[in-house]
Amino acid sequence: MRRDRRRLTFDTTLGRAMLQVAAVVAFFALWETGVRMGWISAFLVGSPAGIFSFGYKMILSGDLLSDTWYTLFEAILGFIIGTIFGSLLGLALWYSVFVARLVEPFIVAINSVPKIALAPIVVLWFGTGLVSKVALSVSLTAIVALIAAYQAAKDADVDLQSLLISMGADKHQVFFKAVVPSTLPSIIATFRINVGFGLVGAVVGEFISSQRGLGHLIYTASSLYDLNTVWVGLFTLMIMGFVLYYVIDIIERTSLPWKQSNTTHQVQV
Amino acid sequence: MQANPVQLSVRNVRKSFHGKAGEIRVLDDLSFGINERDFVSIIGPSGCGKTTIFNIIAGLIEPDSGSMHYRGEEIESLRGRVGYMMQKDLLFPWRTVLGNVLLGLETRGLDRVEAEGKAREYLTGFGLSGFENAYPKTLSGGMRQRVALIRTLIMDPDILLLDEPFSALDYQTRLYLEGVLKDAVETYNKTVILVTHDIDEAVALSKRVVVLSGRPARVKTVHDIDIRAPSPIAARSDGRFSGYFHSLCAELDIQTEKTA
Repeated sequence: MRRDRRRLTFDTTLGRAMLQVAAVVAFFALWETGVRMGWISAFLVGSPAGIFSFGYKMILSGDLLSDTWYTLFEAILGFIIGTIFGSLLGLALWYSVFVARLVEPFIVAINSVPKIALAPIVVLWFGTGLVSKVALSVSLTAIVALIAAYQAAKDADVDLQSLLISMGADKHQVFFKAVVPSTLPSIIATFRINVGFGLVGAVVGEFISSQRGLGHLIYTASSLYDLNTVWVGLFTLMIMGFVLYYVIDIIERTSLPWKQSNTTHQVQV
Repeated sequence: MQANPVQLSVRNVRKSFHGKAGEIRVLDDLSFGINERDFVSIIGPSGCGKTTIFNIIAGLIEPDSGSMHYRGEEIESLRGRVGYMMQKDLLFPWRTVLGNVLLGLETRGLDRVEAEGKAREYLTGFGLSGFENAYPKTLSGGMRQRVALIRTLIMDPDILLLDEPFSALDYQTRLYLEGVLKDAVETYNKTVILVTHDIDEAVALSKRVVVLSGRPARVKTVHDIDIRAPSPIAARSDGRFSGYFHSLCAELDIQTEKTA
């Protein structure tokens, strides 16, 4: 009897995976059929068969892998430098209310500039190589980390700080024992946004001017109307973002054991 | 009635805060003394500035005027020498039970091994061995407040400042923790100032009860509680308990009518 009940539901890990794979296969099958039947233009949207054969060739030649590594390296380097730099700066503002109030409008002003608009000058300043892409990623991620860290430091529980002070703690001890740990969840929460911004910075930097990377691949292919190659680049970026998302997820779950609840409880409506 | 010398005296302390409605005088010429090994409860209308008194003693805020003397010497505050415990347990959520107990000793820069040994000893003494590595969110309210009490006691503070420490707990847990507190205070020979709105708790635990007037706070009366019971629960069945209870109630009632 129990087996019968199980067969009725797809709401298991395997069942869900099957449905997800089926949806992807159906999507590509529909696309390919559309192209073959002449409903949609292969010139403007490419075709799955073309994408797979181009992608296969690019994997074999090693070009795709080297472009992927290059972009991934830029994005992660930018993400790490930007997040560390921004978080440290945001935390440091906790030390002086005067300085914090002084620079607050400047932070807001810098934040309100679409950082992507900086791309042309960043390339002018840092050249067409790796540094300009990393710099662009840093400019995107640092400000997010800075604001999150500063806000979290301001919001750190005053009572916990008072308790430490009553115990005779000095400002450094209050900072390291109460403020910094209480900002960690907010800082780690920015990883998820910032790893995406890191990729944006790397790819846009490559659009402007570059010799390598997935952004370079997409940009040059699209100017040649080589849609299949553009899709290879886009799907590779998608897979990269997907993997990074789960890496961040693991970091989030393992870095703050005190945040974890024992039960994952969701109300069933 | 007791020959114990004065340990802490608070003299003519004034404190005002600036609010939207102008200056609010919270403490106006407040003076009182705490004896060695005293257990003093402070009761009074809510918002009369009891927490402000604690914050001044603990050195978290500065009084506008007035002075404090500790064992005859004038002091700025007792910062670093008090054990401050509040209604919220204020356990650091990212620290384990052991880590929370170690907080004060770490602040003092005590040797890690020595501090840990001491912490484990205290935890065992308070029936919390086995929970060293648990995070606060996995503990019950009573256990959390017990950890907070250990964290306070392990510092060996000169005076314990307890700001309604049990008011967020259910009655049974509160009775139990009152007993734990009373035992601990006797074992470690501590002086305690307890702020509470619970007259019943004040009478059951204290040697003296200070009644404050409404804002600005002044000492209205001081009652000596002459019950020598082995436990707070036993104190409640003492013949004089209800007498104290009712006279304190009456005192507070008059005050609330005046301020209302």
